[in-house]
Amino acid sequence: MKKRGLVRLWIGFAGLLLALFVLVLWNINAGSVHIPVWEILKILFTRTGENTVIVWNVRLPRIISALFLGGALALSGFLLQTFFQNPIAGPFILGISSGAKLVLSLTLIGFLSAGIAVGSFGLILAAFAGAMLSMGFVLAISLKAKRMSLLIIGGVMIGYICSAITDFVVTFADDQNIINLHHWSLGSFSGMSWENVGVMAAVVIPALIFTFLLSKPISAYQLGEVYARNMGVNIRVFRIVLILLSSVLSACVTAFAGPISFVGVAVPHLIRSIFKTEKPLIMVPACFLGGAVFCLLCDLIARTAFSPTELSISSVTAVFGAPVVILVMLRRQKEHL
Amino acid sequence: MRRFSVLILTAVLLFALLLSSCTAPSGNRKDSDGPEWSSLTEESKLKLRYATQFQVTAYSGGYQLIDINTTGKFLVVPEGSSAPAGLPEDVVPLYQPLDRIYLTATSAMDFFRALQSIKNIRLSGTNADGWYIQEAKEALESGDMLFAGKYSAPDYELIYAEKCDLAIESTMIYHSPEIKEQMEKLGVPVVIERSSYEEHPLGRMEWIKFYGVLLGKAEEAQKLFDQETADVEVLSGQPDTGKTVAFFYINAAGTVNVRKSQDYVPRMIEMAGGRYIFSDLDSGNALSTVNMTMEAFYDGAKNANLLIYNSTIDGELQTMDELLNKSRLLSDFQAVQNGNVWCTGKNLFQEPMGLGRLISDIHRVLLDDIPEDGALTYLHKLKN
Repeated sequence: MKKRGLVRLWIGFAGLLLALFVLVLWNINAGSVHIPVWEILKILFTRTGENTVIVWNVRLPRIISALFLGGALALSGFLLQTFFQNPIAGPFILGISSGAKLVLSLTLIGFLSAGIAVGSFGLILAAFAGAMLSMGFVLAISLKAKRMSLLIIGGVMIGYICSAITDFVVTFADDQNIINLHHWSLGSFSGMSWENVGVMAAVVIPALIFTFLLSKPISAYQLGEVYARNMGVNIRVFRIVLILLSSVLSACVTAFAGPISFVGVAVPHLIRSIFKTEKPLIMVPACFLGGAVFCLLCDLIARTAFSPTELSISSVTAVFGAPVVILVMLRRQKEHL
Repeated sequence: MRRFSVLILTAVLLFALLLSSCTAPSGNRKDSDGPEWSSLTEESKLKLRYATQFQVTAYSGGYQLIDINTTGKFLVVPEGSSAPAGLPEDVVPLYQPLDRIYLTATSAMDFFRALQSIKNIRLSGTNADGWYIQEAKEALESGDMLFAGKYSAPDYELIYAEKCDLAIESTMIYHSPEIKEQMEKLGVPVVIERSSYEEHPLGRMEWIKFYGVLLGKAEEAQKLFDQETADVEVLSGQPDTGKTVAFFYINAAGTVNVRKSQDYVPRMIEMAGGRYIFSDLDSGNALSTVNMTMEAFYDGAKNANLLIYNSTIDGELQTMDELLNKSRLLSDFQAVQNGNVWCTGKNLFQEPMGLGRLISDIHRVLLDDIPEDGALTYLHKLKN
């Protein structure tokens, strides 16, 4: 690698790690209850003090969740953009969030209408099952489809079908259900527990490692299907693995925090513009870091800007993410002219 | 480069694993070092005439066990006492005085007002602008009460820092169970109040006894309940006026939301001497309302003698034109042609203690016994 590229690499990763470190500290320090820095340090190292529960039970699980889920979303977006060779492909293009919302609404409306309360883990499982259901349909299409465009259309259509069924279900719901489904659709990292963190770590970390190990075939695929095939990549299996990985990552996010918009679309573009590369060896860890940094920043704004009223995370990610996508589109157009 | 990437990835993963492997301390929880639970004797049960969603059993030592349907059991521990040892795991102790309450169930504020206990609510899930109860609004404006985020996004930090001793949530919390679980992890017991599930309107009002037990004001609660129900019980003994009533609102999608036939609103109309126009609306689920097409509403309610527009969700109407802007079809309705259309006040849904007065209002409208100034407590007539 050229010296200039290596310097960029070092600076890029150092910058991301520094941003991550600063944002983690900032998030630990910021909240509606003012806790002096010395007290936070004492709580972190000794777990004693009046505000231990606020730091350890409220702030830290939320921070770690934003880190994992933000990283997962960005990674999922990078995989799909690579796979579809489409710059606006995002984690939810395959109907993942619509499937999750459908099963969630069926669970909420079905159980609550019958007077049965559902626990948080039940809802997480319902959303995850819905996301996996959508993914199953997309996988079935991927086995038949030879063109990428067909797969995208299939994913979008599944999303529409799920949304239509959800709307149908909502027609028979009362206002409470409608309001709460709307809240869920906006996403939030609020109320995360250490148990949640444990489960999401068990899903996201293996997926991240596996994606990293796939760097070589992804790299070959970026040079075209024919080239990848000549390099010995089994395209059909590769497609399935890529869809599975990106879907599991985005399903995990949807299950725990609801559909969070723009992170998966915008962050890979930001990372490309920082590192000036498409190489998966760099992009995979960098996208994960970038997604974590982006979500930590957005969540900080969401919970502190109008505290104690909390903004929905998607409102904040959209405000920051949408301009990035527009800029990238404009720049790409300029490059093509 | 590969080594470099592996290094970065390993560093990130180690950092994440380090953090995610942390275990959290538990929230504040008082120890149970009172008398043995099995040694306490049952002394009496709270007499309830209409409410079916909760029960209260008094035990020796001043302990009171509250059992709320599908929500759970709570033991009210009198001030100065400790929770009994050996308390069953499914019973949550609530330590009196409960004076740092987080209230998101808006309809419960009226009970606190009636019991002159608004000061016991330290945190509100509704901000000052959202309250129609003046005392709550003033408490928020003066800082005696703090806004701590709405039910779907509570400010856990503030709730914990304010040493909240009880969260009173509406059944909306069933949709966000993770919030209840997080509160409990922080050591804040959560009561889900189900007064809105009472089928009898006076059953809703009878929840004042529940709050009386929580606040140690059971006698005051009983007196207030008796006062508020006395007039209504006289009314309910009077003959049916034979007049039909539709209670509805039109939502943004243009469909008409009406109460099911077994809901508490049709019961109130009956108690006031009227007949609810939809006698067979029941879809077999727990919902209290039905969204119906305008066609079905037209067919069912066209000849109703009285229309009452429910302003709770859609906002108050003042004129007949505002109503007709919702749907021109309403101009064919008998009640519209006779100018007999009324609207509820937006404050009604926050004032369950006023249900008796609403029944009286409906009764007066049905008998055409309107005060000279036209002022009823919760109903106003739409102007032509």
